[in-house]
Amino acid sequence: MTTVAQHRLIRAGRGSRLPDLVEAWQARELLAQLVRRDLIARYRPTLLGAAWAILQPAAATVVFSLFLGGLVGVPSDGFPYPAFVLLGLLPWGVFGGGLSRAAASLVANAPLVGKASFPRVLLPASAVASSLVDFAFSLPVLALVLLACGVELTSGLLLALVPLLLAGLLAFGMGLLLVALTVRYRDVLHALPALLQLAMFATPVVYPASLVPASHRWLLLLNPMVAVVEGFRCAVLGRAIEAGPLLAAAVTAMAFLVLGLAAFRAAERRAADTL
Amino acid sequence: MKPLVVRGLGKRYRLEQSDDLWALRDASFEVGEGQVLGILGRNGAGKTTLLKLLAGITEPSEGEVELTGRVAPLLEAGAGFHPELTGRENVFLGGAILGRRRREVASRLDEIVAFAGLEAFLDVPLKRYSSGMYVRLAFAVATHLESEILLLDEVLAVADAAFRRQCVERMRALVSEGRAILFASHDAGLVESVCSTALLLDGGRVVGRGHAAELQARLQGPALVSPRVATR
Repeated sequence: MTTVAQHRLIRAGRGSRLPDLVEAWQARELLAQLVRRDLIARYRPTLLGAAWAILQPAAATVVFSLFLGGLVGVPSDGFPYPAFVLLGLLPWGVFGGGLSRAAASLVANAPLVGKASFPRVLLPASAVASSLVDFAFSLPVLALVLLACGVELTSGLLLALVPLLLAGLLAFGMGLLLVALTVRYRDVLHALPALLQLAMFATPVVYPASLVPASHRWLLLLNPMVAVVEGFRCAVLGRAIEAGPLLAAAVTAMAFLVLGLAAFRAAERRAADTL
Repeated sequence: MKPLVVRGLGKRYRLEQSDDLWALRDASFEVGEGQVLGILGRNGAGKTTLLKLLAGITEPSEGEVELTGRVAPLLEAGAGFHPELTGRENVFLGGAILGRRRREVASRLDEIVAFAGLEAFLDVPLKRYSSGMYVRLAFAVATHLESEILLLDEVLAVADAAFRRQCVERMRALVSEGRAILFASHDAGLVESVCSTALLLDGGRVVGRGHAAELQARLQGPALVSPRVATR
């Protein structure tokens, strides 16, 4: 054998406060395998396969366009409502889907956590990564809707990647905090769908931020997903992006990431024993 | 440096409903290159806890473990396998869970599949496999990738006699190549066919060391130590 012998010491009461990120990076091929596994498990047993990644935001776009855009007449910043709402639903989907799957990742992989040895932080990481892949699957629908609504695409489109990755980073940081809680309290997984729905309506996804009365506008500053959704929308629609809110959201995401990693590490040490 | 050195290892589980439980206490032993150590014991003796500690799945409450080399744990047949994935896809997933590069797994794929005798089922989803086929694939993956330390726990329970013999031969071959193997089972006969020496665990304590055949009589006798409720 040509490889250098690895030496490892496992000692009681010893251990770092954060997950071993070097080890996690070395296992990046496992991350790819886990993402692949999640996508296959999600779509292969279905008749329509990955089309479901497209159909879900498409169906939501139809529903919101009919009821909010059509019936209620919610304004949409001068753009056709279907394009406007889809451009909110997609980044929200990356965040919401990534967050809920990341939160469930330890419980869903309990046999693996209890019987195999690998950097466990890759479980929530792969959950978020797979929701980014889901987004990529839905690009044809996005292109179609933009075309149908007559939206002209500009080179500013590439900037949309920034808020999108930020949505993933927020989902990962907050997902780490939540998944850490699930080791002791499964309640998180029951509460999360309702909380996410609430959060979606608290974020200008299906209505424009301009609809929020000026007296309550400050509330939007507390929510980092506002900058993400608005940033994504502006980038695709070729409008100027405000850098300030995005920067603030990035700082928030980093704070969640550090807190999340610490919480995850503490929970991970008990995970194999208590899950 | 021996591949596996264990000193005063113990694991305490905190139970909310009752007193703490020492699933393992004060275990010390070494396994050298080209050695197999059997771990004998009834259900609940501490075998799996010991292997989980060595694999780094759970953290010890006392003592330490020194590992020199790559560890390949097989604590449950195909713990990382997914039923919707095909045999081939699961080999790559299983290899990645063991920390191996895709390249390495790809270069061993033919050997793995031939050993498991699953050439015809390679592209069939695992949910169509029998439990025997499952074990064959899992054992083949764990024993055909480069590793210096192999941890095997009770994995051959559902394998048929022919495949067991094949596994025993495989373990002997690995040992002659200089691997260190820890092989846990409640089946002393099976342990004896692979290992010259074994440890006998009971109630979380190492209560005997020696020839597997000699330990067998004690394994079948009455309980060896008092219940393992913690004193502190």
